[in-house]
Amino acid sequence: MTSSGIVIVGAGQSAAVAAHTLREQGYGGRITMLGRERHKPYERPPLSKAVLTAVEEPRLDVLTEEAWTRSGIEFSSSCEAVSVDLKQQHVRLTDGRLIEYERCLLATGGEAQKLPFVPHSHPRVHYIRTLDDARRLRASLQVKPQVAILGGGFLGLEIAHSALAAGASVTLLERANSLLDRFLPNEASAWLEARMEDAGIGLLLGASLSGVTALPSGRMRLITGAGDPEVDEVVVAVGLSPNDSLASEAGLEVAPGGGILVDASCRTSNEHVFACGDCTSQRRSGQTEPTRLESWQNANEQARTAAAAMLGNPIPTPPVQWFWTDQGQHNIQVLGQPFPGLEYVRRGDPANNKVLWVGHRSATPLHAVAINAGTDLRAIRPLLELGRPVQWEEFSLEKTNLRAWAKQMQSSASATV
Amino acid sequence: MDWIKVASAQELGNDEAKTVNVAGHGIALYRIDDEFFATDSMCTHATALLSEGYVEDGCVECPLHQGRFDIRTGKAMCAPVTVDLRIHSVKREGDDIYVMSPAGK
Repeated sequence: MTSSGIVIVGAGQSAAVAAHTLREQGYGGRITMLGRERHKPYERPPLSKAVLTAVEEPRLDVLTEEAWTRSGIEFSSSCEAVSVDLKQQHVRLTDGRLIEYERCLLATGGEAQKLPFVPHSHPRVHYIRTLDDARRLRASLQVKPQVAILGGGFLGLEIAHSALAAGASVTLLERANSLLDRFLPNEASAWLEARMEDAGIGLLLGASLSGVTALPSGRMRLITGAGDPEVDEVVVAVGLSPNDSLASEAGLEVAPGGGILVDASCRTSNEHVFACGDCTSQRRSGQTEPTRLESWQNANEQARTAAAAMLGNPIPTPPVQWFWTDQGQHNIQVLGQPFPGLEYVRRGDPANNKVLWVGHRSATPLHAVAINAGTDLRAIRPLLELGRPVQWEEFSLEKTNLRAWAKQMQSSASATV
Repeated sequence: MDWIKVASAQELGNDEAKTVNVAGHGIALYRIDDEFFATDSMCTHATALLSEGYVEDGCVECPLHQGRFDIRTGKAMCAPVTVDLRIHSVKREGDDIYVMSPAGK
């Protein structure tokens, strides 16, 4: 490559891991990283948890100080790319600067989705996407306010637990009639709802919110049609919109449901431009439609893939999808995908707050959900990676040593090939 | 600094771990290929006990976020962990396993 090097647009988890991987794989050219925020790349998972609750803010840097220094990234913070010229191969910034590239990596992330009826620039309305967002909410929680969380996804649930831990009184409104029912087996949804209520979080399922009004008193009124509760702070957590407009305006292909379209090697429709993380929608083998994955794992894996592909190196095999969420004191991990029509087997009892479900199709495991059972989930991971039928009879028995059982199943499943 | 007896060898199978208390410190004791090793039990990333983690190939994987440490050296091997784990000296006398007390270090 020439001296113009690699430009990374974005400075989040995926951008940092990509830059680090480029160096690990021996790339010695220029790496320019353009970040819209004023911070160096930081981890987002703690924003809805430890950043809100810890007395001392945790260390958030994606790379250690040493790794960051060693990677020699030319980092510009608080700067935004306004256009990418695919023919001239340069990125234009708001201040008029032009940065040429040999390869461009778009790691532009996403924005918190807005609700049309919420006054979104009101000081008592919060979104949690950036560190500054989280710090602002933390400051608001100091006076132990009444807080309404709009949206019962994983992020909304985490914020609800954290706000409660910080001393707020919390109500969570969710449009659906049960929590996360597209992602979790019914028993797990029910467990989650019961734990929220035990913790003292007001849970309004099937809520039809039609407006949020700022009152002269400074409080916020939620128009729900079933009593209009008033709160001090409103947190909106209804999903993410991928930042794909820079790509679409440049003429790159964007998936119908949003997200910069990339192939298995994270290449966009232009051979010199790649994309990774929350901003992408990826064509994956075995799937008819491109999919968006908003997860920490995906941000890391696509970063490694894009970095390898930019250098013409072999790309890593995609792992089974995995993510975690910490709900108050409880850790939930999900491996694989909740395909429709799976049959679930269970090990442990939700009443004891430690349980592992596996969803299988014709005995082949495709989805696993662990509540406070991460080590059990880890023990069966090879079975999901293998993707072959397993005999489930002994899985649920308390006396079964799960690790030994999984190893036995792994070798017998492999042997039948 | 003292050697504190923490366990008998037969309490752990290979690739197993348990938490032992050494002068008020929670320490994870591991058995790998019939050798014993000890690290701090608390993960350097979040509130999780590594003694409840998954031990394989000389590494322990945190039960909460799958961060991995080399048990022999304490080295943080993969994200999300970046800070190495403190390791502790272990000796075996017959069936008795001793860990060097970390107090005062």
